[in-house]
Amino acid sequence: MADSEMGEATLERKLAVYRNLDERFVIREEKYKGQQFSHIYFMRLHHMRSQLQSLIPNWKPHLPVNTVLGLEEGKECIIVGTLYKHMKLKPSILDEYSKERSAIPLVKPHNFMSTDDHLILEDESGRVKLAGPMLAPSAFVTGIVIAVHGKETSEGDFFVEDFLEAGLAPQVDRPLDSREDKFVAFVSGLSVGTNAFNPLQFQLLVDHVTGHLGDENEQRISSKIVRLVIAGNSMHISHGFFSGQTVAPKDHAKLTEPIRELDIFLTQLVAALPVDIMPGCNDPANYSLPQQPLHRCLFAGASAYNTFVSCTNPHHFELDNVQFVGTSGQNIDDLYKYSDAKDKIEFMERTLRWRHLAPTAPNTLGCYPYVDKDPFLIESCPHVYFVGNQEKYETRLLQGPDKQLVRLISIPRFCETGVAVMVHKQTPLSLSLKFLPPVSLFLLFYLCSLTLGTWNAMRSVSPQICKCDCGYPMGTALGSSMHTRLCSYFTGDILPLPISAFFFYLGRLFSPDCCNF
Amino acid sequence: MSSSNITSFFRQEKKTTKRKNDGGGVAIAKLCSKIRSDLAPLLVSSTDQLRSTKESTKEAEERLKEFDIDMRYGPSMGLTRIERWDRASALGLCPPADVESLLLATSTISHCLWQGRV
Repeated sequence: MADSEMGEATLERKLAVYRNLDERFVIREEKYKGQQFSHIYFMRLHHMRSQLQSLIPNWKPHLPVNTVLGLEEGKECIIVGTLYKHMKLKPSILDEYSKERSAIPLVKPHNFMSTDDHLILEDESGRVKLAGPMLAPSAFVTGIVIAVHGKETSEGDFFVEDFLEAGLAPQVDRPLDSREDKFVAFVSGLSVGTNAFNPLQFQLLVDHVTGHLGDENEQRISSKIVRLVIAGNSMHISHGFFSGQTVAPKDHAKLTEPIRELDIFLTQLVAALPVDIMPGCNDPANYSLPQQPLHRCLFAGASAYNTFVSCTNPHHFELDNVQFVGTSGQNIDDLYKYSDAKDKIEFMERTLRWRHLAPTAPNTLGCYPYVDKDPFLIESCPHVYFVGNQEKYETRLLQGPDKQLVRLISIPRFCETGVAVMVHKQTPLSLSLKFLPPVSLFLLFYLCSLTLGTWNAMRSVSPQICKCDCGYPMGTALGSSMHTRLCSYFTGDILPLPISAFFFYLGRLFSPDCCNF
Repeated sequence: MSSSNITSFFRQEKKTTKRKNDGGGVAIAKLCSKIRSDLAPLLVSSTDQLRSTKESTKEAEERLKEFDIDMRYGPSMGLTRIERWDRASALGLCPPADVESLLLATSTISHCLWQGRV
């Protein structure tokens, strides 16, 4: 591969203007003086109420807006407040002290919903139970601020006829520019230090992103990756060390091994392109949101480079004026425990509509007790919203009523799926890169070449023929060079044929135009 | 005791606390309280020293208790009254100005009435 590069121009990696906007998540000046969480709820209610009040005139202008205390029986009105969902299955610390020792289930359910859940609306003056079929408790969680229209019943409940969520926040216009293709790569859940971590897989990713893999076409794609974002759970320290006992000297190596291994990989990455690393729930960072950036001393090698950026969780940055916001997954996982949706992307949509990244904080999700702000409020809708450490790769393009366009991405855990995500910065297009263990290594390369093949087919570049004697047409030069290499690895005639045939027919399955002959 | 002596060499500045209203809710309570702590000695006028009777402090406490209980300005536990006043004014809730002047007099209690009891 190196021979073919001699005499040709070296590829330069594209650059993009980066602005880190994590300032509101960094805890610098705040001092904990024993305050409680009521302040963060007050700030949330105040902020969201002013936003909802500007939307109510467009929704139902003829109705008065009351406080909960000012409700009159039978009178139709609108109230604005914070939702509280009463869930009987929600684990409570007080259960340990309750007199009735009912049988506690041994297996903790992953989801605490039950049919008895009901919603309560609360503002500064009081709270009222919400009744009626309009609001399905399974779609809501504690901590979101909405406006409800209805009337008080004789039982003292508020019968809901309609409700209003804040909806997507106004979005800064995406910059129109450029014919330049630039990609941002996302990966999460590397879990260096667990058994599930496969160094070959990750090395493959590192090689691909840094441009050491593939032929010229492949390298051209890699050169368009302007940034890599590692969205949490990069390392995993064995839980045996968390018992609070002193670590024996012989175990010191086991404690620091995952971090050192990760540092080696990161150094290779940061030497090639800018990397943002976010903490996750298993990383050595604080537990409650917003998680503070991982300390530089953990990454002795990588932190020497100025391309290494340690970020908070949630992470907000701007690349060439395109807004990216994302978390390492705790907010969506918590929503999954307390509400229901058809997929994780729907949870993400809901958080955008509620204009709050983590509505269940501080109720069931740990959070810092801010006194004068709620940093998770979404003031302006991002262009790309990503969530890490999920089960699978999913993506959707969300369109808002005010011409907002958001690309929602759920990034799967790399140690389980071997999938990284690349997002085109301009058009909100995203594609997944799958990095598989050795058995499927060949499939990986072929899939890459297939995607390139379809890409090229769309751009009407003619498909290439395999350079080896088997004569099977391949998607691209990459595919053909890889195929040649594969053929050369096998000594006998028996093996290449079925494998090549398999790939060929697989190729036909994915892109029929590609392998036509 | 003539107050004119003091003003001849002690320039009393007008209170210049600038309030920035950041949309994102950036904490400015600390900045305000710092400015206040610098200016407070200048603002305690000599008339206060003459009128420090028990009734006036009791009145002040009543007024401040009302301010604590007022739910429009948010919860009162966990932060000092001045910080709460600053937060309320930063949010545009227009807290009463007489409460502010009472708070600046050093004789009043800095925390809300439930502090330490709950």
